[in-house]
Amino acid sequence: MLTPTEDNVSSNSQLSSDIFGDLLDSIIVDVASEAHRIARLGLDRNLDEEEEELRLSAEARARASDPSHSGETNGKYIVDIFGQTHPPVANEILECMNCGRSIMAGRFAPHLEKCMGKGRKARLKATRSSTAAQNRYSRGSPHSTNAPHSNSNRSNGSSGVAGDENSCGTLGEP
Amino acid sequence: MRASIKRPPTPDAEDERDREPTIQEIINIKLIESGEKERLKELLRERLIECGWRDEMKALCRAHARKKGRNNVTVDDLVHVITPKGRASVPDTVKAELLQRIRSFLSSTAL
Repeated sequence: MLTPTEDNVSSNSQLSSDIFGDLLDSIIVDVASEAHRIARLGLDRNLDEEEEELRLSAEARARASDPSHSGETNGKYIVDIFGQTHPPVANEILECMNCGRSIMAGRFAPHLEKCMGKGRKARLKATRSSTAAQNRYSRGSPHSTNAPHSNSNRSNGSSGVAGDENSCGTLGEP
Repeated sequence: MRASIKRPPTPDAEDERDREPTIQEIINIKLIESGEKERLKELLRERLIECGWRDEMKALCRAHARKKGRNNVTVDDLVHVITPKGRASVPDTVKAELLQRIRSFLSSTAL
């Protein structure tokens, strides 16, 4: 226990001052750190400087009304906010997992529609040869017309909704 | 990356092992462990904001940054700029209040 003898009082107050100094230094570093951040980010320019504001808004207005600099439509392509242009049809080439052909990305969905699903030719194709796979999903009324194909599908054990490579190659895509 | 805060090097473990902790170190540890240091710091921070000291310091920093160029300032730089003025311009009332609290903490703490 620090008893208040004369010695201790003076060293006590020295100690107190030291502790106070320590706290103050801590706070000084905090202030300096924040001011440093503001300086480096240029935020001090934005505080209460009306002239700066006026100048910037005038600049922005000029930029907006200037037609050659516009971002929206620029000739053929649309320019987005990063200045990038995108071609109207996506042009990466992918392989269709159903028929194995190379298809352009922008044409992929319509291709799949025809290749797998809603189109007239696709539906013919499906009823003819993929019934085994479809039977597994539906209530399970087996088609007897497809004996060789359905056997091979079943024995392969593959859940091939899209996996019928045998018959796809013969169909021409519209 | 520019080193913007200069720190004293970490003391070697070998030198430290035989030394007795000083009174200051013991007190400091007690301050921190009891949470009093944090409370004192918050109190000081609050008082300094109230009396405008903080704004003064930030204005000093801003002026210095403008002089030196926005991207050339370091935290260290700013600390050196503020410290002398900062220490001198703490209002007496604030200082007295803090010292009072520190002293009462010291008397209440058992060594």
